[in-house]
Amino acid sequence: MGGERLKIILSLTPPLLIIFTLFFGGIFYGFLQSLGYQPAIGKYEINFSAYYNVMFSERYAKLFWTGLGLNLWVSFASTFLAAVFALFGALAIRKTFFAKTICNFIYSLNLPMPHLVVAVGIIFVFSQSGLLARLASQIGLIGSPGDFPVLVKDKYGLGIILAYIWKEAAFFFIILMSVLQSLGENFEELAQSLGANRWQRFRYVILPLVMPNLFSASIIVFAFSFGAYEVPALLGVIYPQMLPVMAFEFFLNPDLNARSEGMALSIIIAIIVMILVVFYFWLTQAKIRKD
Amino acid sequence: MSKLNIKNLIKSFPSMDRPAVNNVNLDIESGELVAFLGPSGCGKTTILKMITGLFQPDSGDIILDEQSLLKIPTEKRGVVMVFQNYLLFPYMNVNENVGFALKMKGVDKNIIDQKVKEMLELVKLPDIGLRKPKQLSGGQQQRVALARALISNPRILLLDEPLSNLDAHLRDEMRDLIVTIQQKLKVTTIFVTHDQEEAVLLADKIALIFDGELQNFTSPKNYYEKPKNIKAAKFFGGVNFINAKKDNHNLSTNIGTVHYKGENYTDLNEDNIITIRPENIKLSKNNDFNDNSFKGLIKSVIFSGTHTRYKIIVNNLELECSLQSVGLQDIKTDDTIYVHLPSDKIWAMNE
Repeated sequence: MGGERLKIILSLTPPLLIIFTLFFGGIFYGFLQSLGYQPAIGKYEINFSAYYNVMFSERYAKLFWTGLGLNLWVSFASTFLAAVFALFGALAIRKTFFAKTICNFIYSLNLPMPHLVVAVGIIFVFSQSGLLARLASQIGLIGSPGDFPVLVKDKYGLGIILAYIWKEAAFFFIILMSVLQSLGENFEELAQSLGANRWQRFRYVILPLVMPNLFSASIIVFAFSFGAYEVPALLGVIYPQMLPVMAFEFFLNPDLNARSEGMALSIIIAIIVMILVVFYFWLTQAKIRKD
Repeated sequence: MSKLNIKNLIKSFPSMDRPAVNNVNLDIESGELVAFLGPSGCGKTTILKMITGLFQPDSGDIILDEQSLLKIPTEKRGVVMVFQNYLLFPYMNVNENVGFALKMKGVDKNIIDQKVKEMLELVKLPDIGLRKPKQLSGGQQQRVALARALISNPRILLLDEPLSNLDAHLRDEMRDLIVTIQQKLKVTTIFVTHDQEEAVLLADKIALIFDGELQNFTSPKNYYEKPKNIKAAKFFGGVNFINAKKDNHNLSTNIGTVHYKGENYTDLNEDNIITIRPENIKLSKNNDFNDNSFKGLIKSVIFSGTHTRYKIIVNNLELECSLQSVGLQDIKTDDTIYVHLPSDKIWAMNE
């Protein structure tokens, strides 16, 4: 018994060592830097002044809170809209074999696409010099491409939201298709025979049945879009700026003292994401216990 | 109470090389409890789904109280279906499940609560309203599903294999409950089953369906005593079939002339088939019978508890007889025996 346990511990040690060193080591070192501990530039004092500076100083507070607001807005809007599009898409095509095959193919193609490529795609299609602007100008809907509404590099993060919808709807779609297929149509048929109309079947049957999976997937997508850097970096504006971009700029600042602020910002993002991950695990465990 | 007429109903699916339902005609009276009986894949659930409106027929009509249902959407037909696997909404408690149909109709919450209470009392589960479906046994789930279906006073109640997921004891209980409730509410009810015993015990009438075609629609007793054809007779345990020819109000067979009293003599073809149930055949070592008595040889004797089954060869034809084991004569394999086919128990069919 004891030998068996030792064997398991020994075989798990190498991967755990790598995970602990890279993940917790990195987090720990970053956390130290966020507390002002930077021996390379002769700073050994440990305090929370970087956190205070980022959140409450005259210089950065406005940037931080508007950035946090933008982060929450972009993550919430993109997650919600991607889930809604995927839900209605999945419901619309689940019964037709031909459309299902095509959509599965398109979505499968979209899923492994890097976010960076999607961001570039958004610029090509939705920017004022993009495909849609030129098309609208050609057919006379607008006077010139410059009259096209600002959808990319705008202060509301519309381009970023579009990129996330484009990308994450595929993730939602695949999860929803598998849930809907495993549920079958019997619940809806039953509700229909009990007098439920189309809207009532959606509201009282489909939505509650898919909601646990949809909600779990939403937390993952929200956490990802909250902490991701490349899409906001490419499609965002200088002000307001999303937190990951702001953190990276602190880090690139020639003034090495700003690294503590950058790390403090990164730790704040990580804490928010971790809260979401813990919430997600709590939710899935609660679901398992319930099942 | 509602009367249902099914007229020339046909339904095909692209994946099948024959129609799933082929020209089915049925007239179901108000308040009747009817069984759709047949093997798996014979089309019985397809008919049920066409009655609910979940499938549209290729042709034919479904008429409820003189009104065609075909253009009426499922949710407005007043035809409620209870599915085989109950399908209680897992995220609702029992009260919410049972009250679902009334909630969809926008009925006042106080009235729903009152009706839910009545329905749960009807299915003898008055104290489980706050439980979730997963906290219920299979039998309780089935009762809740029944209560949920009945709460809106359906014009027709459809039950898809209502007892198939229950163990033997619960099945008996549920069967009694269905009959009691059906008789109390007088709701026209159709249930689907592949179990002939279940159909016989529950139904006023049985529609026997094979390969999408209605074979017969009559009372359970008639299936035993007066089957329409060999398929129907075999499905209800018929094993004795003798080729016959009409012969001056009698039937001529290769075991001899059989005296026949059946009222269908004039409807019989020249060539027909006689059947008699094993339990209606009588045996005697001496020729104690006046008519329809034939000499045979016992081929095998199988004791099966309350009954003993005999296989008898009569002029190269094998007949099977089942007698109550109590008070049996001592009949053994290879004994010569007289086989009596009572004329009032013989039934002849065209096939």
